[in-house]
Amino acid sequence: MKRRGTIGLAAVTAAAALILAACGSSSTKTSTSSGSFNSAVTGVVSPSTHKGGTLTFGNSSTPDSTDPGNTYYAFMWNFVRLYTMPLMTYKSCPGACGLQVVPDLATAPGVAGDHGLTWTYHIKPNVKFEDGTTVTSADVKYAVERTYDRTVLPNGPSYFPVLLTDPKYPGPFKNRSKNMMGLTAITTPDPTTIVFHLQHPFADFNYVAAIPQTAPVPPSKDTGTKYQLHPMSTGPYKFASYQLNKQITLVPNTNWNPATDPNAKQLASKVVVNLNMNANDIDNRLIHGDLTVDMPGTGVQAAARARILSSSSLKAQSDDPISGFLWFAYINTKVAPLNNVHCRMAIEYAANKTNLQTAYGGPFAGGAVASTVAPPNVLGYKKFDLYEATSKPGGDVAKAKSELTACGQPSGFTTGVAYRSDRPKEVSAAQALQAALAPAGIHVTLHGYPAGTYYSDFAGVPKYVHAHKLGILFGGWAADWPDGYGFFDEITNGNAIVPAGNTNISELNDPVVNKLLEQMAGTQNATARNAFTSKIDLQVMKDAVILPEVYAKSLLYRSPALSNVYVQTYYGMYNYAALGLK
Amino acid sequence: MFAFIIRRLIATVLLLIVVSMITFAIFFLVPRLAGQNSYQLASQYVGRNPTRSAILQVEQRLGLNAPIYLQYGRFLRGIVVGAHFNSGTSTAYCPPPCFGYSFKNQQPVWPMMISDVPVTASLAAGAAILWLSGGVAIGVVSALRRGTLFDRFSMGVALAGVSLPIFFTGLISLALFSYKWPIFPNVQYVEITQNPLLWARNLVLPWITLAFLYAALYARLTRAGMLETMSEDYIRTARAKGLPERTVIVKHGLRAALTPIVTIFGMDLGLLLGGAVLTENTFGLHGLGQFTIQAIQQQDLPEILGVTMLAAFFIVVANLVVDILYAVVDPRVRH
Repeated sequence: MKRRGTIGLAAVTAAAALILAACGSSSTKTSTSSGSFNSAVTGVVSPSTHKGGTLTFGNSSTPDSTDPGNTYYAFMWNFVRLYTMPLMTYKSCPGACGLQVVPDLATAPGVAGDHGLTWTYHIKPNVKFEDGTTVTSADVKYAVERTYDRTVLPNGPSYFPVLLTDPKYPGPFKNRSKNMMGLTAITTPDPTTIVFHLQHPFADFNYVAAIPQTAPVPPSKDTGTKYQLHPMSTGPYKFASYQLNKQITLVPNTNWNPATDPNAKQLASKVVVNLNMNANDIDNRLIHGDLTVDMPGTGVQAAARARILSSSSLKAQSDDPISGFLWFAYINTKVAPLNNVHCRMAIEYAANKTNLQTAYGGPFAGGAVASTVAPPNVLGYKKFDLYEATSKPGGDVAKAKSELTACGQPSGFTTGVAYRSDRPKEVSAAQALQAALAPAGIHVTLHGYPAGTYYSDFAGVPKYVHAHKLGILFGGWAADWPDGYGFFDEITNGNAIVPAGNTNISELNDPVVNKLLEQMAGTQNATARNAFTSKIDLQVMKDAVILPEVYAKSLLYRSPALSNVYVQTYYGMYNYAALGLK
Repeated sequence: MFAFIIRRLIATVLLLIVVSMITFAIFFLVPRLAGQNSYQLASQYVGRNPTRSAILQVEQRLGLNAPIYLQYGRFLRGIVVGAHFNSGTSTAYCPPPCFGYSFKNQQPVWPMMISDVPVTASLAAGAAILWLSGGVAIGVVSALRRGTLFDRFSMGVALAGVSLPIFFTGLISLALFSYKWPIFPNVQYVEITQNPLLWARNLVLPWITLAFLYAALYARLTRAGMLETMSEDYIRTARAKGLPERTVIVKHGLRAALTPIVTIFGMDLGLLLGGAVLTENTFGLHGLGQFTIQAIQQQDLPEILGVTMLAAFFIVVANLVVDILYAVVDPRVRH
């Protein structure tokens, strides 16, 4: 009995050792690797014109919609270029080049007229839908006007009703015979010309025209809420099938003309998107070679990150681009004593940027310590550091105390900090900030709120913020287009303060900032317009209404099976419209 | 028996109504107790930085500004007689049982849900066969060989099976048998009608992972039950009469020990048919479990209501079947 027991124990131990050994080693099914760490951030990895193969995307959730008129996710604005051509798009190239807005369906950038109150585009005459019918300006007009009806298409941005004349247009779905093509703010004098009529001059309109909402939709093929199941393609691929929330399959669009669409490629024979996958499983399949792209493009999970960064071969297959997001904290100007700029400056000096960076995931997964509000990929960005964020990232308690004396609070003060309690990184950041401010005498009480209602019910409701004395509120921001106006307007313009869903959570109403934004909106020349970015940034930082924390980064794994891989700087992820397979 | 079944079916309908009322109440009343109004609720279904007009339109489309009793009434009516929905360019009829249109996807809930049932049913059925046959067999052998190495080892493994969470065992099994040694590569659901062999091959890992958890429990339950019944006087009598040992164990011992097994099997299978949430999420299977997670994450009331009621239905029906099976297993119940 004793001998059998010993043998049994030995067998179990051996089996356990085998399993542990297997778990400790890695195995990947890869072809020859190419490129090195971050090589896709500044250049194209594995350039090739090879055709064939299946591009397989994995997504841990689902798109808000595949209807180009009804989506607001960054990865969808990237992905829709596989099957749509908006009027404008971002140039398909790595580095800063990828921030340029260039014509897509349009023959050239829009021409402003009538003192900036009209924008005229001409569309390419030989672009066809997947069924062979030619795209006309009326299809573009219809594409825009259908987005006005939020009862059918609730998700996309609201720029057109805000910028164009005729904001009360109900959309073409209600009383269709009367309202279809009834948006007077857009006129189509001929089949290849489209004119947008604005309420006020808006120099950034080319960026608005790059939103997927301008991708043409033939009225006769519009099925309203069902259109997402099969949008009519003008891009290199078309929908073969869409099992809602499960799988999307795209096949080559035989009516796509590459000469009309230089910013997209038709290299793969098929594109498959698997939805609602386990996030860790996506990373494992990517590394193993069963998947080629992680669709959300926000980086690998913690387990895969540790594995990649500890392996030289895997790290050579990864990129760590700036995503375009800034993680930061608003400092509210109405909650006493933060209505005094010196009290706000005290927070800027006291914050420990290194600990905040660690809270967000460290230099690779969190991002680079930020000293400005505008991230480096915003046009017109200039580096400066008013509060020693990069020279003394651990914080400067002495200077903080000096500012407290200047604001009449030499012993410090107490205020509330709001954050999203279901975001672990933000929870850690709030705790790190609490710990950093305490030595300076600034005592904060933590208030966590659910992310889903954070802006609609709490941080974005000024009345609530005042009543609960929330002086510091965590948040994040990425602009819908990469220039200073797109980044700053919603979060710093005094006119943007609203009673609910407020995005100017600092409640900054600085006439200097407001004036700079107004001037920027009316400046047609791109170089002159971009020069405003750093001026606005500097003034906002002088007002100390935002505590920049990190320029967010994402650690992306680049499958060795891919060709033409590079980070499209505007999206902060790989350019999906350019990918092929080796 | 027929009258019994009819009574239970009527009770099922009443129970489902109560479940729907409770789910409705939780979804609407709890946020209102926290001060949320319908405008704020609608703002969650509009997208980023919406205008006030956009939120109001969505509030109207979803019917969130109507009184709760009216919203509930519309919902119940849809289940019984169906409803009409406007997709923008046309009006579609949603036949009964119509659980409404998804707030997020703006598609009918019922077809989305039903398309996920085969995945969950495949997962549950396969795992059930494995855990029932494996668990009971191991429990019987352990009970008959009480105190031996087999007994100790199997009960130790059973303890591990009950203790280890599925998202751990599932990920380990994927790491070993899908990536390290690609015996079961690229696990994803394939319809049985499309390719039965691939259907089975892709489900082996999820089956074993799920069955490992339940088999452990059933092994311990069976062992306990067998130990009790095999020590009864009638077992000694059966042996004294000269019956073959196999007959004594199966017909007299196991059969008596099966009653609690049948009870718990009904509950477990019913719960699983409502969605094996962790297993489906770990292996990326688009069943009712994944549907549930998504519905909750998106706070999509029609989907939450639909899957809750479907899950409740499965549990109730499973319990009804169990009660009927009692009469088969235990003849005393028939009289």
